[in-house]
Amino acid sequence: MDLSQYAELFLAESREHLSACNQLLLEWERHPAAPEPVGGIFRAVHTVKGMAATMGYARVADLAHRMENLLDHLRRGAAGRRAGDDVLQLLFRATDALEKAIQVSAAGREQDADVVGIVAELDRAVQRFAPDTAPRHAPPSPPSPPSPPPEVSAPVVGPGRRVRVTLRPEAPLKGPRALIVLKRAAGLGTVSQVQPQPAALEAEDFEGQFSFWLAGPAPADLVVATLAAAGDVEEVRVDDDAAPVARAETGAPLESGKARHIRVDLRRLDALMDQIGELVTARGRLNQLAAERRDPMIDDLAIQISRLSADLQAEIIQARMTPVWQVFDRFPRLVRDLARDLGKPVAFRVEGKEIELDRAILDELGDPLVHLLRNAVDHGLETPADRRRAGKKPEGEIVLAAVRERASVAISIADDGRGIDRARILAKAQAEGLLDAHVETLSDDQLLRVLARPGFSTAAAVTSVSGRGVGIDVAMTKIRALGGTIDIRTEVGKGTTFVLRLPVTLAIVRALIAAVGRERYALPLTYVAETVEFGVVPITTVEGREAMVLRDRVVPLVHLRQLLGVNGDQPPARRPVIVIEMGERRTGLIVDGMLGQQEIVVKAFDAPRGTLPVFSGATIMGDGVPALILDAGGLL
Amino acid sequence: MGDAQVVRLLVFRVGSLTCAAAAEVVREILPRLDTTRIPGAPPVVAGLVNVRGTLVTVVEGWKALGQPEPAARTEGGTTVLLQIGGGQKTIGFTVDEVVDMLAVAEETLEPRQALPGLDPKLVRAVGRRRDQLFVVLDTDALLGPVLTT
Repeated sequence: MDLSQYAELFLAESREHLSACNQLLLEWERHPAAPEPVGGIFRAVHTVKGMAATMGYARVADLAHRMENLLDHLRRGAAGRRAGDDVLQLLFRATDALEKAIQVSAAGREQDADVVGIVAELDRAVQRFAPDTAPRHAPPSPPSPPSPPPEVSAPVVGPGRRVRVTLRPEAPLKGPRALIVLKRAAGLGTVSQVQPQPAALEAEDFEGQFSFWLAGPAPADLVVATLAAAGDVEEVRVDDDAAPVARAETGAPLESGKARHIRVDLRRLDALMDQIGELVTARGRLNQLAAERRDPMIDDLAIQISRLSADLQAEIIQARMTPVWQVFDRFPRLVRDLARDLGKPVAFRVEGKEIELDRAILDELGDPLVHLLRNAVDHGLETPADRRRAGKKPEGEIVLAAVRERASVAISIADDGRGIDRARILAKAQAEGLLDAHVETLSDDQLLRVLARPGFSTAAAVTSVSGRGVGIDVAMTKIRALGGTIDIRTEVGKGTTFVLRLPVTLAIVRALIAAVGRERYALPLTYVAETVEFGVVPITTVEGREAMVLRDRVVPLVHLRQLLGVNGDQPPARRPVIVIEMGERRTGLIVDGMLGQQEIVVKAFDAPRGTLPVFSGATIMGDGVPALILDAGGLL
Repeated sequence: MGDAQVVRLLVFRVGSLTCAAAAEVVREILPRLDTTRIPGAPPVVAGLVNVRGTLVTVVEGWKALGQPEPAARTEGGTTVLLQIGGGQKTIGFTVDEVVDMLAVAEETLEPRQALPGLDPKLVRAVGRRRDQLFVVLDTDALLGPVLTT
């Protein structure tokens, strides 16, 4: 039987258990006397072992089994004994090794899983706990077959029997397990009339009870023994075709009203999203047509289709939403490892785990967050000695928090460390020629821009962790590509906070459509602060750039005609200025006119060489012709 | 032809030049589509087009091959969608007309040679159809540099 189709499911489920392992190990490390973590870790590892054995990944199962041995000793035999640091570190390493082994096995390269070293280490540790008993080298054995019920143990003759199998309720991967049972049954005779349908066996809500018709001469006790040996089998009953079902079905009826979840391949959701995008585009075309035709029947239909597609769109977007913990969960371990390497005790807190973001955005968020967290531990926090001298508690604090704002999600990484010394950065930036010599202070905004310069680093010594100046640069590029922004707040002696603001969803945004010459450009509304008429507000020149003064603030102006190289007829006399805003920065874009607001589907395109770096993508307008989307980040 | 290697080619005309592209890189043949200019892109780029919801950059064939500008582009014209970089990317290429689909034995093609007014790097081979020469283009060399990596 081909189990490879389950590899992805196995990988996804294992990740959850490994994540739990890491969380519990961290908790255990913090409270070595707590009894709960070890039990939880044992259960997680045990489940992984069961799943790996089902999938036939012997090395993963073997490693999990050795971990289980050690955990079992810690759980029972070593009661009262606190887990030593060396044992904890071993378990951390073993969890890492398990993760690696799972990854390569699921990728079909089980032979690359190297577990020999760690297995030996685990066995040595077990021996220290129980020197008199050799570690069990047996591979995970299937549970012993339950004794068959007496009423079916008599040999059965006839064309066939119905065999009922109940899997253990806690068995993982029930579907594949059921298929293994069926395969074993097929070795005994002809299997038919499988109930429920084989497809239902693979369903996420398959409860582990199934039956089938087995034709063949195999005696009932052989059937029971053979099937039970498939593992994770709670009960096998073989009914004589003549005999009625010996016991009434006791299976609980399906509970109604319980939340039901299924795993959906992300590619399916992407395809759905693409099609919804097409639908939204077609809807735009229909609305345009309805407006032109002035036919009430087309109008009605257009309204109805608009509503339906809006609902559908909202549903799909919701289906793509994923809580941030799916990415955040690996950070406690990461911060802890870093903190250990650098000898800085760190209390790490995560807030707002349940906040949701579009899966596509969340998937891209891991790297920038890793960079910023590394920066926080390495540069943000002082050494314990320095902290004591500054009158702080030696343990540094880092808080990663997600908060839902209006149409965006703000993720902040805050440390209570030394803060950034603006004077030093300013001096360095001036020495490198990044800033004019007459600049006297750095605003938060200027500071961020200097820090994000590729290659700019403030670390006196470049450590292996960070300090090469790529961290903020990489994070900023990524966040901008996602249509988000980064802000920084820092105070010397108090700490530094980076705030990332991200759109909740990437795929569909409301945008202002602007006309420049005969061309159309879309500008996401998230960044539009206001629009004013050009020429109505006083124009001045600041540092050689044209600017306008808007409520006592100087807003630099950009003529989009010039910037985009739009030629042709004279610009109209009355022109709007669209003021875009990102953090503290504002810029006024002078366009020829505004063509309205609409929902646009953001699409990527392969940009030709030389394309101005002011576009975040393109969209398809109601008439089917593409329009480029202006990127506020690139324009500011 | 026996078991000689057969090469399938799409033959098209750009200005006075008859060219061909390997059929396996041709994804689709479309009429000329409305393009959206991409500010900053090199002059050979006609712009962005919408192919059933996918955005594709289109290269103006006559500019890329150094042909004189067609007198008036009133109607007609064809966009050929080509896959470049081993199918990694799709790019459009405008031609005046698609002439033929050919299957020729590989040995009847002559290796690249100097042709007046054409960069030899863009020529993979030269073939003959009804006593007329055609140029088998190296589409990766011709179109690959247009896109950023």
